[in-house]
Amino acid sequence: MKKRKLAALLTAVAMMTGILSGCGSKGAESAPAKDAPVADGAFAEQESAAGDAQLITIWYYWENEGHQATLDQLIQEYNGSQDQYAVTAKYVPFADFKKQLSIGASADELPDIAILDSPDHASYVDMGIFEDLTGKFNVDNYYEGTVNSCTVDGKLYGVPFGANCLALYYNEDMLTARGVNVPTTWAELKETAKALTTDSVSGLAFCSVQNEEGTFNFAPWLWSTGATSYDIDNENGVRALAFVQELINEGVMSKECINWTQGDVMNQFIAGNVAMMVNGPWQIPTMQSEAPGLNWKVTLIPKDTQYASVLGGENYAVVNGGNVDGALDFLTFATSEEKVKFMMNQFGYISADKTIAESQFAEDSPYYPFVEELNYAMPRGPLAEWPSVSDAISLAFNQVITGTATPEEAAAQAQATIDGIVN
Amino acid sequence: MAKIKKFFRYENVGMLFVLPAFLYMLAFVGYPIIHNIILSFQDVSAGNLVKGTRNFVLFDNYLELFGDSVFTTSLWNTLRFTVSCLVFQFIVGFALALFFSKRFSFAKPVRGILLVPWMIPITVTALMFKLLFATDIGIINFLLRSLHLIDKNIEWLTTPGTAMFALICANVWIGIPFNMILISTGLTTIPKELYESASIDGAGKVQTFWRITLPLLKPTIESVLILGFIYTFKVYDLVYVMTSGGPVNATHMLSTYSYKLSFEMFKYSKGSAVANVLLVILLFVGVFYIRATTEGEKE
Amino acid sequence: MDEEKRLSRKKNILFSVIAVALFCVLLFPLYWALITSLKTEQEIFQNPPTFYPHILNTKSYAAQVETGDFNMFRSFANSFLISTGATLIAVLLAVPASYGIAKYRFKARKVLLLSFLVTQMLPVSVLLTPMFIMFKNMHVYNTWVAAVLADATIGIPFSVLILKNYFASIPKDLEEAAYLDGCNKFTAFVRILIPIAKPGVMVCAIFSFLYAWGDLAYGMTFILDQEKRPITAGIFNFMGQYGTKWSYLTAFAVVTIIPVALIFIFMQKYIVSGMTSGAVKG
Repeated sequence: MKKRKLAALLTAVAMMTGILSGCGSKGAESAPAKDAPVADGAFAEQESAAGDAQLITIWYYWENEGHQATLDQLIQEYNGSQDQYAVTAKYVPFADFKKQLSIGASADELPDIAILDSPDHASYVDMGIFEDLTGKFNVDNYYEGTVNSCTVDGKLYGVPFGANCLALYYNEDMLTARGVNVPTTWAELKETAKALTTDSVSGLAFCSVQNEEGTFNFAPWLWSTGATSYDIDNENGVRALAFVQELINEGVMSKECINWTQGDVMNQFIAGNVAMMVNGPWQIPTMQSEAPGLNWKVTLIPKDTQYASVLGGENYAVVNGGNVDGALDFLTFATSEEKVKFMMNQFGYISADKTIAESQFAEDSPYYPFVEELNYAMPRGPLAEWPSVSDAISLAFNQVITGTATPEEAAAQAQATIDGIVN
Repeated sequence: MAKIKKFFRYENVGMLFVLPAFLYMLAFVGYPIIHNIILSFQDVSAGNLVKGTRNFVLFDNYLELFGDSVFTTSLWNTLRFTVSCLVFQFIVGFALALFFSKRFSFAKPVRGILLVPWMIPITVTALMFKLLFATDIGIINFLLRSLHLIDKNIEWLTTPGTAMFALICANVWIGIPFNMILISTGLTTIPKELYESASIDGAGKVQTFWRITLPLLKPTIESVLILGFIYTFKVYDLVYVMTSGGPVNATHMLSTYSYKLSFEMFKYSKGSAVANVLLVILLFVGVFYIRATTEGEKE
Repeated sequence: MDEEKRLSRKKNILFSVIAVALFCVLLFPLYWALITSLKTEQEIFQNPPTFYPHILNTKSYAAQVETGDFNMFRSFANSFLISTGATLIAVLLAVPASYGIAKYRFKARKVLLLSFLVTQMLPVSVLLTPMFIMFKNMHVYNTWVAAVLADATIGIPFSVLILKNYFASIPKDLEEAAYLDGCNKFTAFVRILIPIAKPGVMVCAIFSFLYAWGDLAYGMTFILDQEKRPITAGIFNFMGQYGTKWSYLTAFAVVTIIPVALIFIFMQKYIVSGMTSGAVKG
């Protein structure tokens, strides 16, 4: 009896040693892969069987299945076109993307290419993990804002993947039923939204989450008054905040917007719970497939003193510790006119290349208003400390939406924070 | 040789039992803790995370925190969240443990099933409570409306005070089974003879509870409360999914704020400093616990 | 307790009714998630809400099987593997450790006990970077081993703190009897104490398993390949993807919960009987 119990314990200990030695042997296996001319040891572990091709890894954050499939198709085409490099893409959720890049930078465990949100680009350049691409890509024809987002001190640290901006979607049937016109100014917008609001329908919605996504959506209102991201505590900044507060207080926009992502806003719109929304062109493919019968149109975001929108989109960046040659080779392929056209159309994005963008859509295409809106779109930053500035701005509009501060107080508080960062 | 023998003969043998677990924890958590303490005294941000020099700035990060209103809010939030959760989940968990210690037909199966909330990944729990507390479609608002307690929907998750309340509800729901099962198991270690002799002596139920149950459960209760405190104090997933610290930072906890500083705003050192404040507070609780549990013991 | 004798019939019924009522109240959120997952989006938004789905909608379940490169079953298996591994390590290391702390009065005892507590005092977020660097150097990054090793660090201290009470509550004379039978300290531990402490060990195993099962941060950070990630990572992705599409989200929740719940309810015979049979009969 005694012996048997002891034997059981020993077996258990042996099993655990097995687990530990198991990882030891795994390490030994991966060692040769690490010495191979491959950028990324850990990934090489399982993929090196693919042949002699060097492995190029991409990180991206699109959760949209259509986007994922499109990127996959591009990669397949590239892998089929040559046999020196084998590209694979890893999905890292948006909420985790910054964390994974930060940790990866500390641990020297990064992909070869990152496709990242443009306002974060400057921070990573500051981190020193991106390769200087000046002179390697011709970006002369690109929209200035998109190029600026990946330029630091006159050097180019990335290539714009594609551009998007925000515009106003409206449910045409609802507008017709109420006999109201498409708004072009803030005053008209408020009146129209009021007319469209019922017990079950909100006149207007835009994502107001307290993070970068919310800041992205608030920026057009802020900038339309003439205020800038760094100069809020003035008549203009207060007017923008006050306008958002009025929308909430008069019941034409739901307070729930502070919990709604842009995807949620789109879902509310196609469910008929929202009559007008501010959103981006990437929602169009989903809207067309999920609500084919819905009669909607897109127009410029109504203005206060000037039309304004915000530039969004991703940039490609090449990580400087990785396989730079391979990454450049893939990017040269991916940024060719033909591939850009394919990607942009599938994504519902607008090409960052002006010449492509202008002929990308027909005038009756729902995308067309976005190309027009793009002329008024400005980028956020670029600034290494942009995340902190953005945080102050998103706090300000959340304060007025929840009624925890007046527009004046919120503007003053945001300004104090921003001054502490920028000066 | 004699010395070695002497070492093994006495209480030190106990060390050998503890050593493997201790070394494991030292290897996997010891280094991160030291890493984090060092980081909090440096000035690491995006600019010098990978390249460039890291300067030691002594207590600058900590001093900066006390002028940061989001930090003080987070600290206060964490404290009131933890205390509220502990009080409610302990009382309900204890009551349920006593109730299910009675031998009625459904006692065992129902108690078993009541453990289910504890096995659900917190992410899922957060999701379910987000649905329950939703403004328009939330069942809680519907019930309150039906009972004529409110006539306008409460915006639970978008109003600072009520958002905290919703978080506490969700966490108590998770915590009840935890308290119940540990106290239940603790109850089984109380010798039945003690209750029998108490009832022979004519002690009432209340008296028996205060004189026998509570004193004998002391070690269990201490474990439950201290562990509950530590695990509740560093709550993260629940808050992240339900409110992300909002609205307007009203539900930020030390852990969520630390995460935000480190991984959303690239202020790694400041994020570490927030985490260390959490560590220091829990360290006091821990020392108190060790003193309480080992008091009166002979060394 | 004083009511250990059989309860009277009347009391039995009363208590059972109360138990069922408690059951309904406490598990209502689960019921609500289940029926929400079977409603159409339209019905979810209906006012007043419906307490059972009037139109049965199973689209939300079908969507989970079809969705992208995420495989429900594989991620479930991953979670299971990771949790089992973490539980094994936690129990094997924590059982002897808690015995040592409970039964011996050596000098470093308090310090060791405190150090186990200290390991639980940092939020996960600040452990991620240094742990990541370690796992990378151990060449286990992006494998389930990394998640197992990390998850065990939650289970071990927890188990030590819980189990030490059980070992402490076991009377000294049992051990002494073992020594008289010719056991030494180690065999006494294996032969006498482990079987007696079984309910405690069981509870520790369960908690270690559940901590690992619910872990999101470690699994997400240390494993990058979607096909190796635990199920919690799947939920996280799903939330990003479907926002407030409640039928989809709750369907995912249900699929995550049901299999574990079944295993648990099936196993509870052992757990509960172990717990209530009375570990130590004084």
